[in-house]
Amino acid sequence: MCFKNLPIDFDAQGKAFLKDGAANPYSTAVASPPPGVPKQLDHDKVLELVKRNGHIKDVDYDPVTRVAGALAFHTVTDVKERKVIEARSVATLFRGYEVIMIGRDPRDAIHITSRACGVCGGVHSTCSALAIEMAIGCQPPPLGVLVRNLALSLEFLYDNPLHLHLLAGPDYSEVIVKGTNPGMIERAKVTEAAHVNVHGFRTMHDLMVDLNPLTGSLYLEALHMTRVAREAYVLICGKYPHPQTIVPGGMSSTIDLTVMNEMYVRLSQFFDYGKKIAGIWEDLTNFFYACDPEYKKVGARRANMIDTGIFDLPDAYDTTYKNANEWGNKRWATPGAIVDGKLVTTDLHTINMGLEEFVEHSYYDEWTGSGQQQHFPTDPSGNPLSPYHPWNKVTKPKPGAQSWKEKYTWDTAPRWDHYGMEAGCYARLWNTAVARKMPDNPFIEATGHSLKIRLPRGKLPETEIEWHVPDVWNAFERNRARAYCVGWSAMIAMNNWMAAMERLKDGDTKTSTKFEIPKRGEQMGVGFWGAGRGYLTHHLVLDRGAVSNYQIVTPSTWNASPTDKWGQPGPYEEAVMNTPLLEESTDPEKFRGIDILRAIRSFDPCMPCTTHIQSEAGMITREVNTCACGLDD
Amino acid sequence: MTTHAVRTVIGGVGYRNLRDHSLGIVMSDELEALAQPPAFLVEDLCYGPVAVAQWFLDEARDVAPITRAVFITAIAREDGRPPGTISAYRWDHALPSDDEIQRCVVDAVTGVIFLDNTLIVVEWMGALPPETIVIEVEPLEHAFGDEMSRAVAGAYPEVRRLALHFATDDAAARALAVRPFGGGWSALASLQAAL
Repeated sequence: MCFKNLPIDFDAQGKAFLKDGAANPYSTAVASPPPGVPKQLDHDKVLELVKRNGHIKDVDYDPVTRVAGALAFHTVTDVKERKVIEARSVATLFRGYEVIMIGRDPRDAIHITSRACGVCGGVHSTCSALAIEMAIGCQPPPLGVLVRNLALSLEFLYDNPLHLHLLAGPDYSEVIVKGTNPGMIERAKVTEAAHVNVHGFRTMHDLMVDLNPLTGSLYLEALHMTRVAREAYVLICGKYPHPQTIVPGGMSSTIDLTVMNEMYVRLSQFFDYGKKIAGIWEDLTNFFYACDPEYKKVGARRANMIDTGIFDLPDAYDTTYKNANEWGNKRWATPGAIVDGKLVTTDLHTINMGLEEFVEHSYYDEWTGSGQQQHFPTDPSGNPLSPYHPWNKVTKPKPGAQSWKEKYTWDTAPRWDHYGMEAGCYARLWNTAVARKMPDNPFIEATGHSLKIRLPRGKLPETEIEWHVPDVWNAFERNRARAYCVGWSAMIAMNNWMAAMERLKDGDTKTSTKFEIPKRGEQMGVGFWGAGRGYLTHHLVLDRGAVSNYQIVTPSTWNASPTDKWGQPGPYEEAVMNTPLLEESTDPEKFRGIDILRAIRSFDPCMPCTTHIQSEAGMITREVNTCACGLDD
Repeated sequence: MTTHAVRTVIGGVGYRNLRDHSLGIVMSDELEALAQPPAFLVEDLCYGPVAVAQWFLDEARDVAPITRAVFITAIAREDGRPPGTISAYRWDHALPSDDEIQRCVVDAVTGVIFLDNTLIVVEWMGALPPETIVIEVEPLEHAFGDEMSRAVAGAYPEVRRLALHFATDDAAARALAVRPFGGGWSALASLQAAL
């Protein structure tokens, strides 16, 4: 079955069970790392290499700029071989939401966990509401589900363009490339852009000039489009980034035809923008590949991805864990775990039971020591759970000195079936394209190897764009897929807008269901949701009406994770270790580390971060700031 | 668009429920009742700096440009001034390097809200009024909560009086020294002179 490393098997009816024969089946001491996983070099060996070879240098980025939040990144770089031999991702802040939530009324979680991020506060609020309504058994009315879907897609229409043209885009701009790879600029001047009819840039040089930060039209346009998305969001949710209208059992906002029409005016602006942004990133990706096929290795790693799926179908979603596989598989974005490019499951139970968090290199104490009982040996449906699963996790912060051999980050190391998985909006595209389970609709078609997205006529004619599951997985493919997500999110919003309008026309205006928090017994719930950057779960346990455990795993918890106890690097680390240094300059004074930064930024990091680049010439210090949801707790 | 020679806004910058850092928002909440639009506005400007710039641009387009903005905030300068110290000055509109502006834009779109960032982004977007007055207080308490420290609570009445004074008295506003962020200690002398 789908688990290759965890001691879980499935019977003929598909029911999961623990394999026989192991006294301590989840022991990490006996588990071996998944096959084919690159391992970090032992740090003592790295030190020896640095000592013996003048061309091997520490190169530290602290902070990494143009990311949300605080991220530092340490590398050891062989400047002669132009490769990275050690990479360490460092989340520099402790967030503590899991600790803050203990003992509180669960309704507080909606508002408190929203503050985990300045970009995706609404997605945390909703994820929290989902966890609560699963725990207490409160089903939202259909219009409430549709409005949630609309809100989420509008958040992505803020988030994805912001990343592409304000955070990552400058890495491919004329002003940056001129400094790192001047030869490419000359080639760009004579390379015609294939999608000129969509985006209006005749040459690649024209396009790259308009990616320039602060002055480029694409940079400025993205600032404007963030406003359009926010206005649309605020119309249905009241405010942003921390909406007050998200409640267990639906939405507290008042939705009518006027509101929906005003929202549509904003949404429809993304029909053309979706065409344009996909064309831009098609052309950029293909241009870089044509200049040097080695760019396919920048940020490359195995295509190991995870996503819980998002955008519920009102007729399917019943909030229960028991039926999560059924309603999960009817989501507009299909849940899924992808290992080495193969979709191995779309079932939320399987995704959930494969999840573990480790703290070998994180500033936390283990919680599974001797004498401690595993609180939940199984999930509510009887599937086995690891003691390292979030429902069993206890957050025990333990600040200390930084050591690459010991502990060096506030992020934990989430793993699925022991694999270091990557989270991103592209995981949704991939799952949905391959699984072919999305609802029938007039705008989006999953083919098994691609997603076709039909974008209606705006100023540009009606256009079908098609994202293909790529042959390679790297920084460029992450950005290319993210660009297609703009049109995809717009058309998911369109589908849900049409469904909501039908309900309103029929007089169905109910957006929420009354609920009560039970004051007795123990309940558990999980919010399976997603941010613009990908996977998001909130695992919740209630005891006599108060929160007794609350665990958040964000996309950047996955992506920024440290090396695990088997030596398997986290996704940023792995991507950077695989990145060739393609800057033209060999002068350490001029070394900017652009390829490493492209690799990191392609994940859309979300964590207040800081990175320095240290080369022979000294340390380059840049502040990096984005939202802070990558940090554990 | 109607014509208004003088339009003034008092705007609070900060966070709700963050003790001393809520000074700006608490004050704009309180002063809102005194607003006399379109000539005299009181606004909650505790949101994304890009959106703040867009608000100024919208006002200019839809009504008339705002000519004077009085920003109220608590901000830690860590330059030795005691908690509760009030600095009032006209900001010098000096923008940092392009790299620094870029960092500010990134902070702005990813949810960071504090005075310097707001002024830099709004100025870079060409939206800041020519007369930009800052009244800032050195905070003491940075934690979650709705109660200000005694030092900042003690400064509150004077900040309120100054905000209204500089918003409505042209001569006093123009007598304020033009200073970089923080105003420096000399801004205090300038403040005394203006009063």
